[in-house]
Amino acid sequence: MKITGKIDIIDLALKIDNILIFADFHVGYEEALNKQGILVPRFQFQDTMDRLDKVFESVKGEVGTIIINGDLKHEFGTISETEWRQALKIFDYLAERCKNIILIKGNHDTVLGPIAEKRNLEIAEFVVIDDVLVCHGHKIDKDLEEAIENKNIKTIIIGHEHPAVSLREAVRSEKVKCYLLGKYKKKTLVVQPSFNLVTEGTDIARERLLSPFLKQDLSNFNVFVVSDKVYEFGMIKDLE
Amino acid sequence: MNRIRYKQKENSQSELVENLNPIVKEWFFSKFKEFALPQLFSVKEIHNRNNVLVSAPTGSGKTLTAFLSILNELINLAEADNLQDRIYCVYISPLKALNNDIQVNLKEPLEEMKKIAKEKFGKDIDIRVAVRTGDTTPSEKTKMLKKSPHILITTPESLAIVLSSIKFREHLTQLWWVVIDEIHALAENKRGVHLSLSLERLNHLSEFTRIGLSATVAPLEEIAQFLVGSDRKCKIVDIQHMKDTDIKVLSPVKNMIKAPYEVRENSMYELIHKLITEHKTTLIFTNTRAGTERVVYNLKTRYPQHYTKNIQTEEALSLIGAHHGSLSKKHRLKIEQQLRQGLLKCVCCSTSLELGIDIGYIDLVILLGSPKSVARALQRVGRSGHKLHEISKGRIIVMERDDLVECSLILKSAIEKKIDKVHIPKNCLDVLAQQIFGMAIANVWHLDELYDVVRKSYCYKDLNKKDFDNVVDYLAGKFAQLADRHVYAKIWKLGGRIGKKGRMSRVLYMTNIGTIPDQTAALVKVGDEVVGTVDDGFLESLKANDVFVLGGNVYQFRYSRGNVAQAVGASGKLPTVPSWVSEMLPLSFDLSQSISKFRQYMEEKFKKKMSKKEIMSFIYNYLYVDENAGNSIYEYFKEQYNYAKIPHFKRILVENYNEEGKMHYIFHSLYGRRVNDVLSRALAYAILRQQKKDARISITDNGFTITCNAKIQPMRAFSLLKSDELRQVMEIALDRSQVLLRRFRHCAGRALMILRNYKGQKKSVGKQQVSSMILMSAVKRISRNFPILKEARREVLEDLMDIEHAQFVLKQIEEGNIRIEEIDTTLPSPFAFNLALHGYNDILKMEDKVEFIRRLHQQIIAKIALQKGKKGLKTKDDEIPEEEYITRADTLSDFSYENIWQKQEERKEAELKKRMEDEEYRKQLLIMQLKRAARKISLDSRIEYECQRLILGEREGFKKDFKDWLEGLLSGAIPPVWSDELVKFLQKAKNEI
Repeated sequence: MKITGKIDIIDLALKIDNILIFADFHVGYEEALNKQGILVPRFQFQDTMDRLDKVFESVKGEVGTIIINGDLKHEFGTISETEWRQALKIFDYLAERCKNIILIKGNHDTVLGPIAEKRNLEIAEFVVIDDVLVCHGHKIDKDLEEAIENKNIKTIIIGHEHPAVSLREAVRSEKVKCYLLGKYKKKTLVVQPSFNLVTEGTDIARERLLSPFLKQDLSNFNVFVVSDKVYEFGMIKDLE
Repeated sequence: MNRIRYKQKENSQSELVENLNPIVKEWFFSKFKEFALPQLFSVKEIHNRNNVLVSAPTGSGKTLTAFLSILNELINLAEADNLQDRIYCVYISPLKALNNDIQVNLKEPLEEMKKIAKEKFGKDIDIRVAVRTGDTTPSEKTKMLKKSPHILITTPESLAIVLSSIKFREHLTQLWWVVIDEIHALAENKRGVHLSLSLERLNHLSEFTRIGLSATVAPLEEIAQFLVGSDRKCKIVDIQHMKDTDIKVLSPVKNMIKAPYEVRENSMYELIHKLITEHKTTLIFTNTRAGTERVVYNLKTRYPQHYTKNIQTEEALSLIGAHHGSLSKKHRLKIEQQLRQGLLKCVCCSTSLELGIDIGYIDLVILLGSPKSVARALQRVGRSGHKLHEISKGRIIVMERDDLVECSLILKSAIEKKIDKVHIPKNCLDVLAQQIFGMAIANVWHLDELYDVVRKSYCYKDLNKKDFDNVVDYLAGKFAQLADRHVYAKIWKLGGRIGKKGRMSRVLYMTNIGTIPDQTAALVKVGDEVVGTVDDGFLESLKANDVFVLGGNVYQFRYSRGNVAQAVGASGKLPTVPSWVSEMLPLSFDLSQSISKFRQYMEEKFKKKMSKKEIMSFIYNYLYVDENAGNSIYEYFKEQYNYAKIPHFKRILVENYNEEGKMHYIFHSLYGRRVNDVLSRALAYAILRQQKKDARISITDNGFTITCNAKIQPMRAFSLLKSDELRQVMEIALDRSQVLLRRFRHCAGRALMILRNYKGQKKSVGKQQVSSMILMSAVKRISRNFPILKEARREVLEDLMDIEHAQFVLKQIEEGNIRIEEIDTTLPSPFAFNLALHGYNDILKMEDKVEFIRRLHQQIIAKIALQKGKKGLKTKDDEIPEEEYITRADTLSDFSYENIWQKQEERKEAELKKRMEDEEYRKQLLIMQLKRAARKISLDSRIEYECQRLILGEREGFKKDFKDWLEGLLSGAIPPVWSDELVKFLQKAKNEI
């Protein structure tokens, strides 16, 4: 499904021409919970791989570039052996399907250097594809601000927020991942859901949002729910 | 049951004397003239090393009864220089405060005996007593390890810790006695279940005699089994009757309904004040914390000169105190201290002073409102008259007519010694997991032996081998992939044996042990602003969009995240849940049944057209109440009989009451809220599934109300509920509930799946709650029957709610012993006042509520007057739908609600097909088929909407993408979910747009 311009939604990934964009894998999320003494059994890695299969099955044609838009791994600071292994496996999986992988730095990716080096990946703060700017979205520093203000940029894609909505019917309530489509400084803004399959994410209608891009009235943002396929759900204000 | 026997006759004074050591004898008779009755019954048994359960009143010298024989033998040993440095006796009580009391009560006589031994017998005896609880310092613990006490005083939790401590265990290998105090208070919750396993672990180290001390509780046989486990013998000493109780139900005003609120309130405080001044020290139970504060405040302000000493000076001394769980420990200790010193005239508590810590001399207990169970009433009243031959004096003050009836039956049952039955949780898998882990830390076990040891506990005697194996596998991390197993495995399992794994396990166990979940207040927020707190049990009961009152303001609940409840202001809306609901004690099932029986007798009298005088005399005889109370009860039932019908033992009344377009269905199901919780949830689920309507429920002990904006057919839904399917239905209905999630958190904590203390960090309740959500969905993927999830469901259904009796009720309905009758009322009937009012309770202040009742009442009286001459009320007895909606599943494993709905739908479809000629029926049929297809293939909702427009006859304004879709559907091979009728229609319609 098209979300805007030439940007397609393919499950949890976005596609522009032959470029695929993923965000917020948060590898090692369950491990981090385990370390806090919450003994959640681990499904995340296998689920992630299965879901990647699903995305690539739906992609038609060759993929030229893959962009991982931040927070590949979950924990700040040190990287555990499991995380290390799993991150590499994800890279290898992606590398089999495409030669060119770009890693955009997220707030959790402070020590990604060694991993990226090992697989010879490019690390960037943000990426510009024609008139689209892709960045993680946790902060707006000077460079990023300048890049955004460039007249040629029409659309911004961010991750970081892990948007989700709660759909309610009678006593039942289900939280689902979603894309958001709105405006930031008169540019089109696309917020991509996380590829972290352990949790759905942040309920955008009810929880405090973190990204500086989203410190604004969101009631006119459009919601695209990701389930077995993508469903357009109108605006946030209509959900209540 | 032969192994559990009542001891019928006491031993003689001389039989006891002949066993006494001279030192003990000297001491005993310097203090007492002779042995008291509990001692005559029990001492010899303990001396002979028989297990014994003693149920005796407070103040009858229970402690000495248990310890006399023990002290005697220890002195014998000391005298013969045979006393070793090991523990001979373990005393366990649920309260640390009680432990400290007992220590004092043991040390004193021991000191005196020591003196006697030295002075008169020239012997040095030194019997050591030590307390070990969570408050014990490390240095004290080390001291105990080096030189073990002979008598160890502890709590269930600390006992489990010492059992896993290698060094301390050595002191426990030749244990002779275990004394469990206040055993009734432990048996009914998971602390008791935990203790029962600790006792078996202890028993594995050493055989010992078990002595249980209990207040009034029923059935004693079951408590005895809980004490001794599944196959040991036990003698029961029941001498509750030896202490007389004097209980009365008092109503401050003559006519409860006619007196205005101010009058009633004034009279109530006048009555309380009068009772207090007539006695030396009065203890008041209010049931709720807020109630405690209110009573203290009112007494102080209404009668300042009576409740404050030195009123003019700076150091004004209060003669009245409040005592409840929300007050600081320091404050509570101060109040207890002042009570013992006799400095207070009155102490007011919620429930906190129910258990047996020493509170000095009390000569009157006042209960404000119903204590909800006979055992609790007796326990509370038993706090007065501390000496054996003093009478325990209790006064229950009632302000409402439901309370009056309830308390009158409590009084009757108390006098006739019909005590309500205790519920002992069984086969708790979370507690089992924790204990097996503790056992594996202590030593390597053969699984068969372990299983046998576990099943010696009464709480696990019927434990299924499969559940046991699942718990062991859970602990061994078998649920995870092999590579990840090290993360989860707490024990190793190999060749039918288990043992501890990892160096951390002992620390992990010691710091996370116990069964009491972390409970803190949940924050209520509007946006980011904190507007107050509610306890997490209350949060548990909230559904999205419930309206509640907090600090005088009205809020609507949205959702909760961890321990934060998000709400929005809702001023002007009527609350749907009262905020005190979580603090309410549930009415016991047995008591509810006696009330129902009384209701039935009353109806019979009215039906026989007996005179008021005859009925009044029946009430006096049956209920032991005075004239005021009897009169109020008579009037109450008379109104109900005239206006509606009396629901009773054999009749559940469903009252349909329409209020400004809102339908209230009031179920008069007097079974206590634990049963009503099950019935109403199952019913709401059935309504939701069958009639696709959201129903709101409020529950009380006397029934529940289902409220809906549209008309529903609760009777039809009710007929869907069957006793043998109730459990499955409830398991589905609970699946997404907050209550299950919260209980799962508690269970995961007990089973050490969420470690509350880990690597020196304590997790907040909020954090535990968020994590438990992820955890719950993960374990569901492993298995719907993952042991900890299974336990959470069991706890909700069996301990929090009462599915067993709910099933019993449904069975009674199925067998025709209980009839359900439906009536329409334009105003709630008198019995329904409290049920209908449930939601109004807090929004309106107390005055308003009563004004409201009075207004409704006057309207009803007027109505009754109008009706005179007319023939009764329209009833709908015979309109119970004949159609059997549940086609019985052949076997339970095949049970599926989906099938039932599907069958129902098919039947409806066939019906519609027959009437296809009719345009309206044809449309209905097509829409039904469309919806089914849409559901099955998850059709885009906009496309579904457009199709519906077509069916309803619209032909304009269809967009291209829809036309394309339609074209696409009809051009290829059409999937079978699209019915023939529908395809035919769409083909025709396609050409018209």
